[in-house]
Amino acid sequence: MMPQLLTVRVKRPEGRTIRIWVPVLPVVLAGSPFLILAALGAVVACRMYRIGVMQAFGTGWRLFCALPGTRFDVQEGRTAVLVSIR
Amino acid sequence: MNEQRKDILDMLAEGKITPDEAEQLIATLERDQTPVAASSGVRPKAKAKYLRLEVDIIENGEPGRVNARVPLQLLRAGVRLAALVPPQALARANAELDRSGFPFDLTQLKPEQLEDLVEQLGEVTLEVDHPEAKVRVFCE
Repeated sequence: MMPQLLTVRVKRPEGRTIRIWVPVLPVVLAGSPFLILAALGAVVACRMYRIGVMQAFGTGWRLFCALPGTRFDVQEGRTAVLVSIR
Repeated sequence: MNEQRKDILDMLAEGKITPDEAEQLIATLERDQTPVAASSGVRPKAKAKYLRLEVDIIENGEPGRVNARVPLQLLRAGVRLAALVPPQALARANAELDRSGFPFDLTQLKPEQLEDLVEQLGEVTLEVDHPEAKVRVFCE
């Protein structure tokens, strides 16, 4: 299943916390024109380096779909950053 | 040896039953005992889903902490990237490794072998204790 929500939480030293929720599907849809361009660039790169285009896209898609559950939480002193993908 | 099996062997020794009958009885006994043993024994360990990294560090007197969780599925998908590396790049990497004193042939590294490696990660627990840092890598 593809990721649905990216959560970023930043805790500043002064105690302020910034939380950002990024719904993945709407962002992907909004950025689809750029994604198509990126995909075309990827096809050209695959052709140049003689890599199977379908194999490359399959691996990329599998990587993208394996992202849910990933979580990075870093704290240093009074600063903290959390990135979570659901 | 359990009591019932001992009884069967006693009966065989006394000549009350033939060896074939004894074998049949023992087979029946084993068949009956297998589900009990399976249900009463230790349950198989649940398959690990995530690779966890925990680091506790004290730097300049301030505590720091890194807590990362990576799905093993992501590692499995990642190792498939190895199959996409162009042969020219592998040859160049091999030459560089050789020059640095690591005669390692990357072309011999197959994605299936890497996947096997990821499979076995479920059993790995790595702990490093240092006065100023603690590192723990494990699967859950």
